[in-house]
Amino acid sequence: MSGVVLRDVVKAYGDVVIIPKLDLEIYEGEFVVIVGPSGCGKSTTLRMIAGLEMVTSGEISIAGKDVTYAQPKARDIAMVFQSYALYPHMDVAGNMSFALRLARVPKAEIAERVQRAAEMLELTPYLDRKPKDLSGGQRQRVAMGRSIVRDAYCFLFDEPLSNLDAKLRATMRTELAILHKKLERTMVYVTHDQIEAMTMADRIVIMKDGVIQQIGSPREVYTAPENLFVAGFIGSPSMNLMDAELTRNNGALYVKGQGFELPVPGRLQERADTAKKSNIVLGLRPEHFSAADRGNGAFAPIELAVDVAEYIGSSQFIAASVGGKNLTAAVEVGPDAAPMESGTYYFDTERLYLFDRESGQAL
Amino acid sequence: MKQWFGKAAALSVAAAVGLTAMSGALLANPYEKYKGTTIVVSWPALSHFKAAETLVEEFTEETGIEVEIDALQYLKLRDRQILEMSRDEGEYDIVSWVVMWKGEYVSKGLLTPLSQFFTNGALVDPQYDIDDIADAYLQNGGIVGGTKGYMPGKSGALYGVPFGAETSILAYRTDVFEELGLEPPKTYDELVSVSKMIKEKKGMGALTSRGKTGHQVTAAWLLHLAPLGGKIFDDEWNPVINSPEAVKAAEVLRTVSNTGPTGIPSYGFSEMSAAFLQGDAAMYLDSLKIAAMSRNPKLSKVDGKVGFALHPVGSRCGSETGGFAMGIPANSLNKEAAFLFVQYMTSKAGDKRMVELGGDPIRLSTLNHPEFVKQFPEYPVVAEQLPCADPDWRPLIPEWNELNIDVLGQALTKVITTDGPIQPIMDEANEKARAIMAREGYYAWSDYRK
Amino acid sequence: MAEETLITAGKAKTGGRTLTPYFFVLPAGIVMIAGLLYPVADAFYLSFYDWKIGTKFAKAEFVGFDNYIRMFSDPDVRESIWVTFRFGFWTILIEMIVGVSLALLLEKPIRGASLFRTIFILPLMVSPVVVGLIWRYLFDARVGWINYYLGYLGIEPQVWLGDAELAFFAIVFTDIWQWTPFIFIIVIAGLQALPSEVLEASRIDGANWWQQIFLVKLPMIRSILLIALLMRLIDVFRALEVMYILTGGGPGRATELLSLHIYNRAFDAQLLGYASAISVLLISIVFLLSLGILVVGNPMKEKSDI
Repeated sequence: MSGVVLRDVVKAYGDVVIIPKLDLEIYEGEFVVIVGPSGCGKSTTLRMIAGLEMVTSGEISIAGKDVTYAQPKARDIAMVFQSYALYPHMDVAGNMSFALRLARVPKAEIAERVQRAAEMLELTPYLDRKPKDLSGGQRQRVAMGRSIVRDAYCFLFDEPLSNLDAKLRATMRTELAILHKKLERTMVYVTHDQIEAMTMADRIVIMKDGVIQQIGSPREVYTAPENLFVAGFIGSPSMNLMDAELTRNNGALYVKGQGFELPVPGRLQERADTAKKSNIVLGLRPEHFSAADRGNGAFAPIELAVDVAEYIGSSQFIAASVGGKNLTAAVEVGPDAAPMESGTYYFDTERLYLFDRESGQAL
Repeated sequence: MKQWFGKAAALSVAAAVGLTAMSGALLANPYEKYKGTTIVVSWPALSHFKAAETLVEEFTEETGIEVEIDALQYLKLRDRQILEMSRDEGEYDIVSWVVMWKGEYVSKGLLTPLSQFFTNGALVDPQYDIDDIADAYLQNGGIVGGTKGYMPGKSGALYGVPFGAETSILAYRTDVFEELGLEPPKTYDELVSVSKMIKEKKGMGALTSRGKTGHQVTAAWLLHLAPLGGKIFDDEWNPVINSPEAVKAAEVLRTVSNTGPTGIPSYGFSEMSAAFLQGDAAMYLDSLKIAAMSRNPKLSKVDGKVGFALHPVGSRCGSETGGFAMGIPANSLNKEAAFLFVQYMTSKAGDKRMVELGGDPIRLSTLNHPEFVKQFPEYPVVAEQLPCADPDWRPLIPEWNELNIDVLGQALTKVITTDGPIQPIMDEANEKARAIMAREGYYAWSDYRK
Repeated sequence: MAEETLITAGKAKTGGRTLTPYFFVLPAGIVMIAGLLYPVADAFYLSFYDWKIGTKFAKAEFVGFDNYIRMFSDPDVRESIWVTFRFGFWTILIEMIVGVSLALLLEKPIRGASLFRTIFILPLMVSPVVVGLIWRYLFDARVGWINYYLGYLGIEPQVWLGDAELAFFAIVFTDIWQWTPFIFIIVIAGLQALPSEVLEASRIDGANWWQQIFLVKLPMIRSILLIALLMRLIDVFRALEVMYILTGGGPGRATELLSLHIYNRAFDAQLLGYASAISVLLISIVFLLSLGILVVGNPMKEKSDI
């Protein structure tokens, strides 16, 4: 089987188990982003793929080859580190060609491949500079270039953008996505930033405490979070989660809590019926609030006590409370609208989420 | 009123005169005048001087002259003394020098000639008997300015009195010699043949010797040079260290090094004597200090097995003399008191007392004292050896340091660490020595006469 | 606006130039002049005189360049310089190789590494005089341990300190024993400060153990190696106590380093002026060597490498 496959992988340091058991299949040519809070085991997973950490048990295969106990250099991978990890004593060309020189690739070919990568990354004018004479963004590109030149089967990225400023990070995200399209290589990218995950990934792997919470396309993990953790982690600003219970009123199913009562949409009726009625968490994404009833029958009123409204142009972020509980809403209003005030707002109930509070699983 | 004043004045003058007369009468004690004076003594922290500390206390008790002792490590002694003595007013009233330094001290004008005290009847003890002091010691340590400036002679003058002086004797292992049926060597030929025999038959080191580069290896060579008839300079200051006698001495040294205990080229005095005291060598030829050391259980494993004999004779008998002498710096502020101290320490009574305290005697009367002879078997040997001592066993001129360490110290190392012919080594050294002497102007007279 | 005022105010005080930095280096400058320049200048001055210990300096004879002329034609000085260079070459070469190797071996936190590290640096703590004494007894021909254990191997006792080649070996060995830990400490500190990601990157790039050491680790601590080399080189020219006690420069001049030669000339032969002239030569040699190393690769310049 091609791609990168992790089978029953366990990683423990003595008695401390970092990754209890992990199965992951990354398809050839796919861009997979592993995302999760710090300490969730995402970097460890990446380093095990790289061969920088040995698995405690389980198997790893890359391009159909079992590499569980192989040295990093035998895995046909390239890796970009958070700190760029450039060789300070070599110039840009030297950094980019180091692996090729070690592999005794003919000189002419090395020059050509370095040249090509440099052009792709707009590094040509800097080839004879030392890393210390480059800016952060340029160093980042050299680190990428070092991988590109390798033409490895699989590219690994360990939080490569987190040392850059916000603007540069956005640019680099785009460049990376373009790069992936050009190179058509398998890429595994680790980050704690869900925006990076959402913007670049073919598929996102969300991890917590060494366990994969959900694997899916950005759309899937956004629209159908499988559990409370994914629901809270993906999306910005993050989903509002409020304790609630299910009630039946005139035959219709409602989700009810302190200060609100919303009808349960049809897609959830069946599963909600079988769930425990009183132990529910309601999930409301801020962006699904609306200042007005859009009138398709899905919008239900909800009273918000607005504490503060932040103007961000086409919409406003509202910090509000419902029944004494804090809640964030993002409502689209015109750029000229006055700051939003307390009152009745509407929520698109088609897009509400229900979770079992005990198991955390989505209904 | 006026009259009263005049009377009082007259009375006080009379009283003053009376007091002076009285004090003059009290000078029956030669030390009285210096009571309460403090004199400072600079000498080395060596065993003889350690022993002398008790006698110094007795001196203070008897005379009322306070003594402060500045005992320094031997290696630091000269620099410190020179520093003090070259000031306008020095700290030291008495300095104790190694005989090697005397020429330098006098030529730099740092010492007081003792004649100015020996001409003072109030200071000199009529019973001092300077002739009782071993002549070799006195000449070698005390007299400066005679022949060649450092030997006895009419132009010389006395600057110091020996204290802690010594000569060279042969010590040997009675048990080893008995076992091999040997007699202690009397001549150099015997020394060489006995050495080879001991090495061959017993496998142990024969004669221990110094051999470390610099003054140590030179010292070892000099021991043999005088008895074999050699000298460093002829009468015109021409170096003769490549003479047949000098080369023969170097040959003996090489034989000694080859038949002696392992490691002679790295031995200083302490390693050399330790080899004998710990039983790794059958003979010892150097300072008489070995006698006391061999009786010290902390140092010696051979106590009771050591015999003493005269320094072997080559073409003549010629042992070494060395050690220390005491004198008075030119810039001392308490010269008379200092002289009294020197006289006390080296008097007949003082000398005997030094032996009782564990020091080394300088007087023939002490060496021949029946009680001591019984106690110290080496004393008769030393007494017999002393008249033989050659005052010219090495030159005591300022340039000697450089010759000793830079020229001979290097050449003789080559002699004992290589196997090649010796003559060229000594020829080269002779040329170097000549260059140094020329540089320092010793040939001005011979050049002038040409 | 407020910031602007502040800046102009600061400039106004010193009329556009600021003297403040010079004020801060002033104490260091004074210490340098008093502690370094003065003695050197004094030695230089003295080298034009023929001064004997114990005489007043006022009586010393001005001899112009005589001491220098004598020095350049003095085979003993030349021999001593040759000994010093040979000594420096062998000690520094072996110390660098052994020190760096040990550091590379003990860099990883393997079991017992900290114990080994502590043991390795012990010789550094010992004062040079004691080092000299320890090794003088170890090398002693008659009672030394080295000959004693060689005896078990059936090797005849050697006169370690009395044979020109063995004595040279002995001082080189002793110096290596004492100073390898210095290289070791400096290099291990440098290695441990290396960013782990760069080393990981090199593993992924395909470097094996040797390539990682020679192409990544050592080049990255190049400035540290240079500083260590420079310090050892200067030390070689300052080394005195150990040789003084161990061999005193002997046998012959086989172990007489230039500094010891100066000492012997000054205090045994009492040629203060001449010894000063040789000192000036020694200072010049050290100065040129240091300058050379700094020109080849200024360790300060690349401090911000990592």
